[in-house]
Amino acid sequence: MFSMRTLKTSEAAALLNVSPNTLRAWERRFGYPKPQRSAGRHRLYTHGEVAALRDALQQGLSISSAVSRAREALSTDTHTLVGALASFELDRADSAMESALALRSVERSVEEVLLPSLDELGQRYGTDSAPWAFAARWADGWLRRAQRLAPPPVRRLAILVGDATRNELDPDALAVRAFELFCGRSGARIMALPVGGVSGLSDVVECLAPDAVVIAGGHLPDDDVALWAYRVRAAAGPLPMALFRRSHHGAKVRTTGTLILPDTPFGAYRHLLALIDDRQITRVHEVAALSVLDGDLERREAQA
Amino acid sequence: MRRLRALRPVEVDERGLELISFCGHCALAPEPARHAPPSRVCGHCGLGIVLQATADLAPRQDEPFLVIDTTLSVCAVSAAAEQLLDIDETQAVNKHVADFLVPADANASGAENLLALLVEVAGGSGELRTTVVRPRQEFGIRFKARIGPCGPPHAALLVLS
Repeated sequence: MFSMRTLKTSEAAALLNVSPNTLRAWERRFGYPKPQRSAGRHRLYTHGEVAALRDALQQGLSISSAVSRAREALSTDTHTLVGALASFELDRADSAMESALALRSVERSVEEVLLPSLDELGQRYGTDSAPWAFAARWADGWLRRAQRLAPPPVRRLAILVGDATRNELDPDALAVRAFELFCGRSGARIMALPVGGVSGLSDVVECLAPDAVVIAGGHLPDDDVALWAYRVRAAAGPLPMALFRRSHHGAKVRTTGTLILPDTPFGAYRHLLALIDDRQITRVHEVAALSVLDGDLERREAQA
Repeated sequence: MRRLRALRPVEVDERGLELISFCGHCALAPEPARHAPPSRVCGHCGLGIVLQATADLAPRQDEPFLVIDTTLSVCAVSAAAEQLLDIDETQAVNKHVADFLVPADANASGAENLLALLVEVAGGSGELRTTVVRPRQEFGIRFKARIGPCGPPHAALLVLS
């Protein structure tokens, strides 16, 4: 379902008949093609983006116009998905996402095609309409299916998500599902629980032993969220706590030292992982410093 | 004894005029291709596509120029034109040429003349013409402009001097 061909810098440069330096210069100047990074931080270009640019360059008068044409070619997936959902065609909607996945990673397909399409439908029909309900249910199902197909957790990392959205028709709910999907695909264990339920929460927290807690969604009132967060802290002790999509229309929220994540699911996921990694590095340094101190003490005792 | 000189292959257009290749961004002539097929992307700056125009029209390296298509949209802005007109090519592409340049020829009857000329030239049928233009919203600054066909594909080249 999620096959996407990627190219190394040298392969992409050869396909475009330019040097790798030129490709990097285009990334800086035009922001296109936009590579992902491999585990070793090497650039990985999606074949679809590079192929679209190669076709556009053949008939282009400048790199800028070719980039613009290539971007247009890629945006057809969004138009197709909006059209399919607006005409209630589930098969065509699934096909549009399949096409998007042939050109992009899962993360970018969700951020550049699925979520913008749903935003457009929400603006066009309103989030209390039947077309929105149809589209939101389809998108929720798609994201959950993608999460089930994600590789099993490989990192020693667990994240507890407190879901403060109304239900799957809440416009924030899709962003929260996408955030869970991205975290899950990175190899973390994810557990999402409704903020409304607090009984038995300590058992879940003890079992999961989360490295971070994210409270996502802005539907439930602050009092409910505060109670839930208090119960989690009581069970797990001090943990990094972050808010995702909790503030609306620039309204201030009571954060009391919690981190506010960016509004985009991918931005939030990257931010949270960086926070957890920093914390783990600090913990490793603390442990290393303690062991050095222990070693010093033992040496002194032996000398004495 | 008469010394023989190596012949240089010259590309000509349908009227037999010599065609010069230049980069649509830095205006430099492309290096001879080492690999086949030769790249359309400039090997010097990597930011422009190699275009062709007749020798009397093709820009010198320091001459600012714009490339405009038949819909009168800006397709390319040279590095010198970016500096001269204080615009960024990535922002200017796909915008109407009249957003940046307007006619400033007192003898011409109106804006339609410049635009009609650009459409005709971009279609590949026009010949080299000269006119006077000025930046939009700027008065007191006038540029002499050479306008003629370039490509491929067919487009109008507007060289400011």
